[in-house]
Amino acid sequence: MLTAFVYTNSFSEVRVSLDAVSAETGSEEGVPVGPGPNPISPEVKELVWGAGSFIVFLILMRLFLVPKVRKGMASRYESIQADHEYATSTRDGAQADVARYEAAVAEIRNEAARRLEAARQTLDKERSAKIAEVNAQIASRRAEAESEVAAARAAAQGQIVSAVTAVTTRATQIAVGVSPDNAVVTRSVQQAMEGSRS
Amino acid sequence: MIINSILSFEFPPINELLRWRDVVPGLNKVGLIAIASALIGTLIFLSAARKDPKVAPKGTRNLAEVIVEFIENNIIMQTMGRDGLGWTPFLLTLFLFVYLCNVPGIIPFIQMPATARMAIPMFLAVLVWVVFNAQGIRHQGPIGYFKNLMFPPGVPKALYILITPIELISTLIIRPFSLAVRLFANMLAGHLLLVIFALLSEALFQARDKILIPIGVFPFFMLVFLTGFEVLVAFLQAYIFTILAAVYIAGAVHPEH
Repeated sequence: MLTAFVYTNSFSEVRVSLDAVSAETGSEEGVPVGPGPNPISPEVKELVWGAGSFIVFLILMRLFLVPKVRKGMASRYESIQADHEYATSTRDGAQADVARYEAAVAEIRNEAARRLEAARQTLDKERSAKIAEVNAQIASRRAEAESEVAAARAAAQGQIVSAVTAVTTRATQIAVGVSPDNAVVTRSVQQAMEGSRS
Repeated sequence: MIINSILSFEFPPINELLRWRDVVPGLNKVGLIAIASALIGTLIFLSAARKDPKVAPKGTRNLAEVIVEFIENNIIMQTMGRDGLGWTPFLLTLFLFVYLCNVPGIIPFIQMPATARMAIPMFLAVLVWVVFNAQGIRHQGPIGYFKNLMFPPGVPKALYILITPIELISTLIIRPFSLAVRLFANMLAGHLLLVIFALLSEALFQARDKILIPIGVFPFFMLVFLTGFEVLVAFLQAYIFTILAAVYIAGAVHPEH
């Protein structure tokens, strides 16, 4: 064992020894005899082993290990960088595609709106024309109907005038005994009907 | 009685705490830790280097990459800039070796930072000293380097009387000395603190006077706290050593900075 340890018989008898051997005697084989190394001055064997270990370690690190690890790190960084650039270019391409798509959609929407407006205007014109045509037909039919009504009224009025004239002539003949002039009676009846109408 | 007990507590001499029996002749615990540190660092990077670098890093690969990025982003880029990235292997090895030599100070049954002995900090400090001076001479030429060292540009000439000896002593003597002593002293002090509180805890827990036994909780708590603190110190000292090495190299290569 290399570690120092302490044995304690009692609090008042604390002693430090190395490897279970009394520091004073140093009787066991391989144990240094004497007061121990100077705590400040370097020991040659420690210097040799320390320097040797470090130099070998430095040579291995300088020539083989660090360059290999560093090379691996650099290649991975480059790979990540390349992947990043590829992702960036892909994203830019996708964004350009989206922009083109959006432009195409906007153009199609404008074209659709333009066609819709043209169709709406065409429909408005056709509707106006149809309405005008229908209105004209209604007006002509109304005029025909009014003329028919006027003819029927005139016919009915003539019949009423002749009937009233006949009744009036007969009544006058019965009352007076003299038959009145038919033309006078007819004119009188017409005047009476026109007066009552007005 | 209690006072007598406390006053009779004997702390072992420091040199006895640092005496280790050789595992094989000429190799003691400190040497073994240094070898283990180099071996562990090598194994981490060897394992990392063998894994497929194209896939997302995991395990040792992830650990190795985190360390590499830590050294590059938090030490080299901060002190030397992009030009200093060529120093990654050296500074990475320095950081990892110092850290792995520091950490055994808190690992149970090892409990000895290899840097708590002067040999390794001294060797590393001398190595850094050689490296930054060699880089200065290489980049500025011997005359230019020592001229810039002794007569820093932008300083009034009258101040050279003061500045020149200060800079000369600071760069050539104090820098390696402070680099070595800072690491060594911090790690030794941490090691001694842990030993003190461990001994005190054990002594109090095994005291004859039963009244002393509960008091042992306090040094034991300090032992646990300082062990956690030493985790931070182990990392911090490795970081400071490495960043100062980077600053010295950068200063030697680019004196205008």
